[in-house]
Amino acid sequence: MTRMLNELLDRARLLVVTGKGGTGKTTVAGALAMAAARRGRRTLVLEVEGRQGLAALFGHPSLGYRETMVAEGVMGLAVDPEESLREYLGRYGAAPLARLLSWARLTRFITAAAPGLGDILLVGKVWEATTRQRQTTRAAPAPGRTGGALSAPPVNTPSSYYDLVVLDAPPTGRIVPFLRAPETVAELARVGPIRHQAERVRELLDDPALTRMVLVCLPEELPVTETLESASLLRAARLPLGPVVANRISADRLGARGGRLAALAREPEPLAEAARQAGAELDGKALATLIGEARDQRRRVEAERRLLRELRAGLPELPVVELPLLLDGVNGAADVATLAERLTDDPTPRADRVRA
Amino acid sequence: MSPARARRSRAAAGAGRTAAADRSQLDEVVRTARIVVCCGSGGVGKTSTAAALAVRAAEQGRRTCVLTIDPARRLAQALGLDLLSNTPSPVEKGLRGSGSLDAMMLDMRRTFDELIERYARDQEQADRILANRFYQRVSSTLAGTQEYMAMEKLYELHESRRWELLVVDTPPTRSALDFLDAPDNLNELLDARMFRLLIAPAQRIGRGYLRGLNLATTAMARMVRRLTGSELLAEVGEFFAAFEGMYEGFRSRAQRVYDLLKDPGTQFVVVATPDAPALREAAYLASRLAADRMPIGALVVNRVHQAGQVPAVPAAATARLAAGSDDARLLADLLAQHQTLEALAAAEQRRVRALMASLPSLPAVQVPLLADDVHDLPGLRRLGSRLFA
Repeated sequence: MTRMLNELLDRARLLVVTGKGGTGKTTVAGALAMAAARRGRRTLVLEVEGRQGLAALFGHPSLGYRETMVAEGVMGLAVDPEESLREYLGRYGAAPLARLLSWARLTRFITAAAPGLGDILLVGKVWEATTRQRQTTRAAPAPGRTGGALSAPPVNTPSSYYDLVVLDAPPTGRIVPFLRAPETVAELARVGPIRHQAERVRELLDDPALTRMVLVCLPEELPVTETLESASLLRAARLPLGPVVANRISADRLGARGGRLAALAREPEPLAEAARQAGAELDGKALATLIGEARDQRRRVEAERRLLRELRAGLPELPVVELPLLLDGVNGAADVATLAERLTDDPTPRADRVRA
Repeated sequence: MSPARARRSRAAAGAGRTAAADRSQLDEVVRTARIVVCCGSGGVGKTSTAAALAVRAAEQGRRTCVLTIDPARRLAQALGLDLLSNTPSPVEKGLRGSGSLDAMMLDMRRTFDELIERYARDQEQADRILANRFYQRVSSTLAGTQEYMAMEKLYELHESRRWELLVVDTPPTRSALDFLDAPDNLNELLDARMFRLLIAPAQRIGRGYLRGLNLATTAMARMVRRLTGSELLAEVGEFFAAFEGMYEGFRSRAQRVYDLLKDPGTQFVVVATPDAPALREAAYLASRLAADRMPIGALVVNRVHQAGQVPAVPAAATARLAAGSDDARLLADLLAQHQTLEALAAAEQRRVRALMASLPSLPAVQVPLLADDVHDLPGLRRLGSRLFA
C-alpha cells in the first residue's frame, strides 16, 4: 500500500492535499512534505487559504510570502489570497480606487465580479513554485521570492528549484473550481498571456506522472461520503488521483482477541484468576471497567473498519493509507515526523484486508 | 431565573462551579431562550448538538424548530427532513411529550430567491434579477452568502411566530463567525454606488481632482472585462440596475437580523471537541461574541474521552501478566489500553480546563465520546441525557 505513496514521494512534482474541512489536510500535507524531505527531496509545503495552519502545525512563528525553513529539508510558504489579489490589482493601478473604497471592499467586489481571479493568482503561484528553476549562476539556491515567470523550461529537469511541492489545498467542496480557475477564465480569453499560462498550468495538473490529488479522510460517516463524492468529481475533472489518507484511526491493540470480550463481560473469572496469579489487585469492579472500556474501543474500531471498508470498496483502484490518532494531538515538528514515518512505513495491522 | 441572571449570580458566587450546575444551565437555555445558535468549527458535532437541544426542548413541551445546514444523511433521515421544500416539516415519528418538533434544511439559493421576491417592486423586477447571470453566481458562490441566508431564514421563521424556540446550526466556515459579518459584507456588495464607481466613472464623477480615480476605475473595468468577458460585465450592470431601489430594504433587513441575534432571547451555544484546534476556535468565537455583545449561553465540548477508576497495578505484576497465559496477556493489554485512555482523557481535560479558566462565567458541558454515531431520535435523546442535568 505504501509502495505507491513512496513512489509518489520520490517522483511526483506536485501533491495537492484536499479533504473535507476538519479532516487534517494541513497535518497530512506537512507529514507528506517531511516524508519526502527524509527521502532526500527538496520540498516546499504551501498553504493558500490564509489560515497560518502550517505555522501552527510546525510550531513556527507565522509564515509569510517568503519561503522559510519549517523543518529539516522542508520549506514552508503561506500565500495570503487577499494580499496576492491586492498586489495584482495594485499593478493595474487600483490603489486610488482602493483608497476611496478600502482594499477590503474592493477585493470583495472584484472577487464577486471576477470570481476566478483570486484562485488564478494562487494556482499561478503553485505552478511557479513547482516549475521554478535553480539559477545556474549561484552555487546553492537561496530560498526567496521569485516572480511568476511564464516562460520557464519544462518540469522535471535536474535543475528544478524544488523537487516536490505539497499544496495544502482548499477543501473538497472548492477544489475543482480552484484548480480549474485558470482554464475557466482562459475559455473567455482565447489568446494572450492568461490563455498561455492556463495551458501550462493544465499540463502540470493533468499529468499523472507529475501531479496527484491526495484526499484526506476521517473514519466517520460524513467525511467518508464526501471523500467518495470528491473522488468522482476530481475524476470527472480529469485530475489525477493519488492515495487516500485515512487520518486519526483508533488503535486496535486487541485485534481478533476482542471477540472474547463479550463472554468475559458475562463471566470475568478467567481474568480475575490471571490477576490473582500475577499479584495484580483488581477487584470485580475494576475488571468490569477494563472490559467495558475495551468493548467501547472495539465498537469504535469496528465502526471505523466498516467505514474504511466502504471507502476502499468505493475507490478500489486507489491505495488507502492509514494514519493513527495521536493521543495528544499533533504539536510541532516531532509529531509531524512521527506521522511522516507512518506514511512511508505503514506498520498498521490490517486485519480487515486479511479477511477480505 | 434567566440564563444571563443565573450566570451573573453564579459568577458572583465564585467557585461554586460544578458540572451539574453547568448542565442545568444548558437546560435553562432550552427552556427559556427563543433562539439558540450553535456555532463552532467544522466536524465538532454542531448539527447533532443542535438537534439534541431541539429534541430536548420539544419533549419538554415547547413548540420547537431546528434549522440545519448540512446534516449527515442518516440524521437527515431520522429527522424526516424534506430536502426540497426549504420550509420546516414536522418530525412525527417517536417524539415524546406535549411539545412539537419541526426540522428543515436550508436551501441557500431558494432563500436568496425568496428574499429578492420579497423586496422587488413587482414580479417583473424579481424575474429580471433571478434570471441574471451575475446574480446566479453571487447567490450561490459568494463567500458569506450561505451564512447570511441561514440568519435570514432564522429571522423569517422567527417573524412567523409559529415556534417558541428556534435552534439553528451554523455553516462550517473558514472563520466560524463569518455569519456575523455576512450581512455587512453582502450589503457592501449590493451597494450600487461601488458598482457605479467601477463601471461608469466618467459619467458619475466628472471633476478634475478625481481624474486619477477615473483612470483607475477605467483600468479596473478593463481588467474585469478581460477576465470575465464584456458580456458578463453587462450582466453585472443589469443586475445593479435591476437592484435599484431594493438596497434600502435589504439593509434594514440585515440590521434587524443582527439585532435579533443580539436580543437577550437569543443564546449562542459554542460547540467544540477537546482537540486543540477546535478549542482554539471556540475561544476565538467566545471572545468575538462577547466583543459584539452577543449573549453566549454555554460551551459544549463533544467527544470527550473518559477513563474509569482502576487501581494502579505494580510494574512487576504487569510484567508477570505480559509474560503469562493468554488471559494474562489479554489483561495486560486491557490495562495498557486503559492507561492510554487515562492519558488521553487527562490531556483533553488539561486543554478543556484551560479554556474554561479563560471563560469563567460561561457554563461548560462535556459530552463523553459515544461509541456510535448519533443518527436517530433515541441517539439524540442519549446525547441529550449527557447535555442536561
